Amino acid sequence: MIKIENLSKIYRVGDIEIKAINDLSMTIEKGEFLSIVGPSGSGKTTLLHLMGCLDVPTSGRIFIDEVEVSSLSPSEVTRLRREKIGFVFQEFNLLPVLNAVENVELPLRYQRVSGRERRRRALEALSRVGLENRAYNRPTQLSGGEQQRVAIARALVTQPVLVLADEPTGELDTANTCKVIELMRDLNRETGQTFAIVTHNPMVADYTRRIVTLRDGSIYSDQAVEEKELACEDGDLGI
Amino acid sequence: MFKYILRNMWRRKTRTILTISGIVVGIFALTVLGGLSARLTQQVNGAKVWFSRQINVVPAGESLFGGAGRYLEISKVAEIEKVPGVKVAVAGIGFPRENGGGFFGPPDLIIGYDLSRSERSAELLELLQIRDGRNLGEGDQGKVALGATVAKKLDARVGGMVTLKGRLFQVVGIYQPTLSTADSFAFIEYQDALDLFRAENPYFQIRDIAGSINVLPEPGVDLEELAARIEEQVEGVKAISPKEAEAQISQFSLIFNSILLGIAFVALLVGGLSIINTMVMSVSERIYEIGLKKAIGAETRSILFEYLVESAMIGFLGGAIGMLLGLLAIFILNRLTQANQVTVFAVTTTVVVGPVIFSVILGTLAGILPARRAAGLKPVEALKGD
Repeated sequence: MIKIENLSKIYRVGDIEIKAINDLSMTIEKGEFLSIVGPSGSGKTTLLHLMGCLDVPTSGRIFIDEVEVSSLSPSEVTRLRREKIGFVFQEFNLLPVLNAVENVELPLRYQRVSGRERRRRALEALSRVGLENRAYNRPTQLSGGEQQRVAIARALVTQPVLVLADEPTGELDTANTCKVIELMRDLNRETGQTFAIVTHNPMVADYTRRIVTLRDGSIYSDQAVEEKELACEDGDLGI
Repeated sequence: MFKYILRNMWRRKTRTILTISGIVVGIFALTVLGGLSARLTQQVNGAKVWFSRQINVVPAGESLFGGAGRYLEISKVAEIEKVPGVKVAVAGIGFPRENGGGFFGPPDLIIGYDLSRSERSAELLELLQIRDGRNLGEGDQGKVALGATVAKKLDARVGGMVTLKGRLFQVVGIYQPTLSTADSFAFIEYQDALDLFRAENPYFQIRDIAGSINVLPEPGVDLEELAARIEEQVEGVKAISPKEAEAQISQFSLIFNSILLGIAFVALLVGGLSIINTMVMSVSERIYEIGLKKAIGAETRSILFEYLVESAMIGFLGGAIGMLLGLLAIFILNRLTQANQVTVFAVTTTVVVGPVIFSVILGTLAGILPARRAAGLKPVEALKGD
């Protein structure tokens, strides 16, 4: 699914070189539900941006579905992102001037899906995240948790093979964190879509099936974990 | 798409409204002056037709519009008629119908033509088309033929009487509107005109004089060559050929159109800069959103298009509102001057459509820079808000 070979990303700030990602190699199989953790500045977000083709590596190669990303032209990269990858960011995920369903429709609009079909699929995605009754609310009228669920609906509406989430629960309270994680895990189970979640919250990582820990731009540990059951009813992660 | 762009524009209501207002002011001025220019063009084109089939002989050093206060000896008429190719030369004298003149537009003129010298003289007035009655002709002392505007102003009917400088004249004919200055002319016999002139200027010891001499050519004679021949053979005159008349008239309107162009340029500069400023601010404020859109699959050109349309829309709104206010001003001013039978502004398709197209193009051009900046952002940098 995703194969990363000897990946490096070096930033230059004045005369200082910062190795955000340092000779990193890993493979993510289709249908995995994994988290990428590590301290601040360990390169989590940079890795996610590189995997999502939002940034260009200094060296190394990334294959998505056996296509080497660096061989693609900018417009082919845009198309790859549009068709195969869904994004959920930490906050400000939604465009404030659009209501929930219009936000979910946006990637379909870029895929030039017709208006009626777009609306149908967006409403369907919203009902999968349990927000069909909030479809016509603007982001400012939604809670933080609801906004993240709309963002997840948007990430899923194009049926991408890979969903990349950057601190999706970073701004949420425990109850909403639980709901968002539960939602992503259910979707992963139902659709077999691959999820890679960057988080600094060990509790979130605990509920994934593989935890990749980064340190100084390299993999410090990479371990499979036993899946735990979630119990969100009482508003916490069951810990 | 448009709904989305409009909502984006409305996020900063005050700023958008101020930017649009700036364009409204410029386009308002452009529309009003455009209306003035359109009216002037109508008059100029009318005048060009009038001058296109004759030569105007004036004292040396004068132009078509007079100004130096010189007159021609009436004896020049005979001299000019001797020049080969001249069919007829008609002495003319003109002065304002009312002292003070019109505030808007050209003053009404009383024009006296010497139609008594030969029956061919009347051909001169056949350059104008009669609407009611007949042309002024030989021996029409005490009679007048009126241009359309002045006829309306004096409430004249064919057969009725009008007063010119305190003297009664019988109306024999009213001409078709030409949209040129000829519409404000009252044509009378030369001797009548001279009498009116002398009555008003008792200390001005004049003999038979002419302000200008209108020359009609023999059939097939080239007017440009004929004009040159007249200047060569008759001393102390300037013969204005149709080409030169057109040049003089054009020069007159050129000054006005230059002012119009100047206003357009200022509107362009002020409006354009304020749109650029607004759009640059908008792009800066929405950098993260642009990154988000790119992340979820927006192509560079769709971001470019989005910002160009937003910018063009600001131009369009400013242009449309400015144009409508301009039309309203034109309507009101025309209404106010209508009492004097004067039309100051003309409303043509160009006056209506021109300013709007102008401001849409302005908006689009002003949007290029900010839109390119937005479209050129790298997704990862935009998401970091750089």
